Amino acid sequence: MAKITKRSWAEPYRMKMVELLKVTTRPQRLKALKEAGFNTFLLPAEDVYIDLLTDSGTNAMSDQQWSAFMTGDEAYAGSKSYYRMEKTIQDYYGYKYIIPTHQGRGAEHLLSKIMIKKGDYVPGNMYFTTTRLHQELAGAKFVDVIIDEAHDPNNPFPFKGNVDINKLDALVKKVGASKIPYICVATNVNMAGGQPISLANLKELRKYTKKHGIKIIHDMTRVAENAYFIQQREKGYQNTKIKDIVKEICSLTDGATMSAKKDALVNIGGFLAINDWDIYEEARNLVVAYEGLHTYGGIAGRDMEAIAVGIVESLSDAHQKARVGQVEYLGAKMQEYGIPIVTPIGGHGIFVDAKAFLPHLTQDQFPAQTLAAEVYLDSGVRTMERGIVSAGRKPNGDNYYPNLELVRFTLPRRVYTQAHMDVVAESVAMVYENRTKIKGLKMIYEPKYLRFFQARFEQLK
Amino acid sequence: MRTLTEPFKIKMVEPLRITTEEYRQNALEKAGYNPFLLRSDDVFIDLLTDSGTGAMSDKQWGGIMMGDESYAGARSWEHLQTVVQNLTGMQYVLPTHQGRAAERILYSILGGKGKVFISNTHFDTTRANIEYVGSEAYDIVCKEAEDVESYHAFKGNIDLEKLETLIQQHGKNIAAIIMTVTNNSSGGQPVSMKNMKDVRAICTKYGLMMVIDGCRIAENSYYVKHREEGFENKTYKEIAQEMLNLGDAFIMSAKKDGMVNIGGLLTLKDEALSVKCKNLLIISEGFTTYGGLSGRDMEALAIGLEEVFDKDYLHYRIRSTAYLGEKLREKGIPVVWPIGGHAVYIDAKKLYQNVPLEEYPGQALVIDLYLKGGIRCVEVGSVMFGKYDENGKLIPAANELVRMALPRRVYTQSHLDYVLDVFDDIIEIKDRKKGFKITYEPPFLRHFTAHFEPIK
Repeated sequence: MAKITKRSWAEPYRMKMVELLKVTTRPQRLKALKEAGFNTFLLPAEDVYIDLLTDSGTNAMSDQQWSAFMTGDEAYAGSKSYYRMEKTIQDYYGYKYIIPTHQGRGAEHLLSKIMIKKGDYVPGNMYFTTTRLHQELAGAKFVDVIIDEAHDPNNPFPFKGNVDINKLDALVKKVGASKIPYICVATNVNMAGGQPISLANLKELRKYTKKHGIKIIHDMTRVAENAYFIQQREKGYQNTKIKDIVKEICSLTDGATMSAKKDALVNIGGFLAINDWDIYEEARNLVVAYEGLHTYGGIAGRDMEAIAVGIVESLSDAHQKARVGQVEYLGAKMQEYGIPIVTPIGGHGIFVDAKAFLPHLTQDQFPAQTLAAEVYLDSGVRTMERGIVSAGRKPNGDNYYPNLELVRFTLPRRVYTQAHMDVVAESVAMVYENRTKIKGLKMIYEPKYLRFFQARFEQLK
Repeated sequence: MRTLTEPFKIKMVEPLRITTEEYRQNALEKAGYNPFLLRSDDVFIDLLTDSGTGAMSDKQWGGIMMGDESYAGARSWEHLQTVVQNLTGMQYVLPTHQGRAAERILYSILGGKGKVFISNTHFDTTRANIEYVGSEAYDIVCKEAEDVESYHAFKGNIDLEKLETLIQQHGKNIAAIIMTVTNNSSGGQPVSMKNMKDVRAICTKYGLMMVIDGCRIAENSYYVKHREEGFENKTYKEIAQEMLNLGDAFIMSAKKDGMVNIGGLLTLKDEALSVKCKNLLIISEGFTTYGGLSGRDMEALAIGLEEVFDKDYLHYRIRSTAYLGEKLREKGIPVVWPIGGHAVYIDAKKLYQNVPLEEYPGQALVIDLYLKGGIRCVEVGSVMFGKYDENGKLIPAANELVRMALPRRVYTQSHLDYVLDVFDDIIEIKDRKKGFKITYEPPFLRHFTAHFEPIK
């Protein structure tokens, strides 16, 4: 592995406010882990040193965002802050009608309720936990149409988020386009390891769906990170600004759900964006029952201000270079230590291949869940399982057995420093050295939906 | 009437814009004569709601800066959980992005086709949530509430006789008894501790679940202390604790007495039910330790729930609303009496008696108040609660009220005096004969997005 000599992604910001962290001992962490049933979701944040559980809502806002935050208009109806957010979304993403929601899953909930009929099929470039669940609860069956390369953690293909049009075509031929209300296209596919979709693929998909009258709904929570990869990897876009690539991506779709807690650099908020007036009208009537009146949708005025500023900041080339640069730095460090990770390195985190890390454990012994617990025990670094536990069960009760059994090291935006990254990589290396001694887990409590959040485990003897 | 004593000074201000009547006429046309569709920029005094519109204290803003945004197990969550457990005596606390999400979660589990909910009065979103899952909602507020202008200390009480009768009729189909304190839709009127205890006894007798919808629990405690025997020497917080402990579940839109701009709570005594609710919470709101709220908002709420029980604050709060209401009454404006905690309710049927009910006298008053003074308030009458018969004819609501809700710690006494002055203009036009017609309406909760046109 080549030595890292470049530091060219140095952050285009400096620290203006800090949050103190607690350093714990191994016995303290073992106690905390047992109390949390070996599920990192159930650990108190206080007992965590470096929190890489998620990049969702854990971002550091800029001084510009904090100052906009102070100007938030908390009026129940017609808040100035809503109009500012609406205009920013229209200007930068290009969608016509905007419904704010308290977070991304609020938008998914509305969209699924409006667009899906019982017996429908919703294809997508790999599932996401909450997205698929809302589709299923609305009566649809999710069909994975991502390219096969995405399921291979070591395939170097640069656009592992691409849709396999042949798979989609097979579905259309089988069930008919009228049973497919939309295809859900995620930019930077989370469950594949933060992998991008190319503009070429999206254009081809647009052509195909137009022909068959199928809408494209864009799961756009990490669209800017996807745009960065297009700029770096796709022919013809090296000199295009990220903000222009983002706009082009959005223009090829009919609407979007957004969790603003990722790219948009805020701690809470989301929205549904749609170009079709009828869907908008229905969403506007529904949102008031579930989220809040359509000009606040369950978020405070100040948070809409912060989103408006955050969207603009997220589309800066310098920001994305530093953002993805930090992820790549951590990944390269891990590779130096020989840790098996998903490649190419994705946009929002490093995905460690737990099957390769702990080959002596079967998938039923939850290798990724085990590894996440071991890393926490070693250093207080909190990560998340993305394998058999997250995949959950099929509607008929059988376990999904996903090909990918991963531990996600997700980097909050603008929060941790390079020294933090070094600590993380060293901790994983330490666990890797002692990997043969690690025992698996068994599940002792399993909730009905989205079990990864609350499931409890015990160490196998 | 003594001048209001405000137990705070101003630390941050938000400039307001003053507009002309001509400008406002134009804004109204654009908004389809629906105040919910006005831009807040075009409003001078915003009395649309007391929900989420309050001013936080410097201490709460400090909490905002301290908020822990960790996705799971945040410090701010632990702080909030401790405060809420202490207040409610209930062990299981679920945060939600606001109150209606807490309602949706609980009522979709308890309700369903053929189920019945009984309440002193269901609030509009509560009723919508219940009816949406195919259940029925019965309002049985006490008889004294029917006469809007006579004094009774606890007009928010439920009618216990009717409650017994309904229980006999519906038996096993009853999903829950919901006590709304204070009773928003019947004029922000309080519920007595005695009434709550009687409901508790009935629920225990029949094995029914008692839910307290307590977004204004502190304001209710004020009335219990000052109007009900035996509570003179208890603190407001002790009264609230005693009342909440009567329930099996507590639902709160924290945007009212939580003194915050966003947030809600669902708390439960029963573990099995809490597990079901948590499953739904995760799907639609967020993980169990943030429920769709940012860490900072949970921190602000934890602090707000302590501040709201301060005796000087509550005195200021209740007296400011009474100040506006009593002065209006002196002017001869018919108001719901006695004045409630969070809002003054004007009897539009009586004030605009020449406007037919089918032409929504409440809506006409709301529009006039905006036009004359840039004041925004809301109709609580046939626009909000009216229904149609088979022939499409309006079945009017029981009352045609206009609610002027006071945001907490936002407007000064001179703002209230300005509102009073605008009513002099209203008195001049009170004999108007024509009202409004609806030109667009969605299938449910129509008051939020409907469009109107003045009848020529």
